[in-house]
Amino acid sequence: MSERRPSVWELARGPAAVWALLVVLLAVSAGSAYMPLGGINAAVNLAIATVMIGVLAVFLMNLRWASTLVRIVAASGLLWLVFMLGLTFTDYLSRP
Amino acid sequence: MSEVSRAVQEPWPDLATQREGVGLGIWAFLASEVLFFGALLTTYAVYRGFNPAAFRAAASHTEIFYGTINTVLLLTSSVTMTIALRASEARLRATTINALVLTLALGLGFLACKGLEYHDDVVQGLVPGAGFALHDPPTQLFWMLYWIITGIHAIHLSAGILVVAVVVVLFRRDVIPVQDSTMEGVATYWHFVDAVWILLYALIYLVGRA
Repeated sequence: MSERRPSVWELARGPAAVWALLVVLLAVSAGSAYMPLGGINAAVNLAIATVMIGVLAVFLMNLRWASTLVRIVAASGLLWLVFMLGLTFTDYLSRP
Repeated sequence: MSEVSRAVQEPWPDLATQREGVGLGIWAFLASEVLFFGALLTTYAVYRGFNPAAFRAAASHTEIFYGTINTVLLLTSSVTMTIALRASEARLRATTINALVLTLALGLGFLACKGLEYHDDVVQGLVPGAGFALHDPPTQLFWMLYWIITGIHAIHLSAGILVVAVVVVLFRRDVIPVQDSTMEGVATYWHFVDAVWILLYALIYLVGRA
């Protein structure tokens, strides 16, 4: 087999671009935390954290290239998490 | 028989199918981990919902410098881990091992940083109980959750560091050949620990700063 071996730069190029994006998002998140946005601060920080985790899962945890079966199993954790949060807060948020 | 076929275990017919099996298994495990951390973070959300001002006041005493440095360290370690995985796909033995060692160093750097932060927290009297530094009682709830959640995260990272160290030894000694089936499980778990930290950073260090 005469397959050409990739250089370190070729291996690192994609992950390095993802790293740069994640660090920019981290800087935006940390910077926004010091801006007096009232109740919006928490929403902005959580939204950016969710995007960062999404980028990590899709590009570094390889979900983009994973089989449908693996994607379903990966999503199952989130499904049960939604049930847990939903059932918990239907109680706490509806208390008089 | 090719070199990498030494890594194929029963009942898998080949390495590619085995890698998919490893991926499926580790994601099933991580789905349970999502619920494990999810329960802790639901507890955090409920207490924060009842005590928003106390949580803001308590969180403003966390060391955002250490938190940010540690986030960058983990994000960087995820990149070196991905390089190790891709190098293993290309059967680049030296690059795989070097990237794993770098990942290991970044993980240990995180723990060292966390240790310094814990030391500062203890010195400032931020351990709930007698002698707690803050006056509003619900601030102890935040700090109780801080110690439990970051402690459990550190245990998870330590487990990751141990696994990476073992894989480095196995690869270096050629006990198992460098290949992507083993790396799939190691890398996915490592990234998960990083993902949990990203959420913790937003919930612990960025609260109460404005």
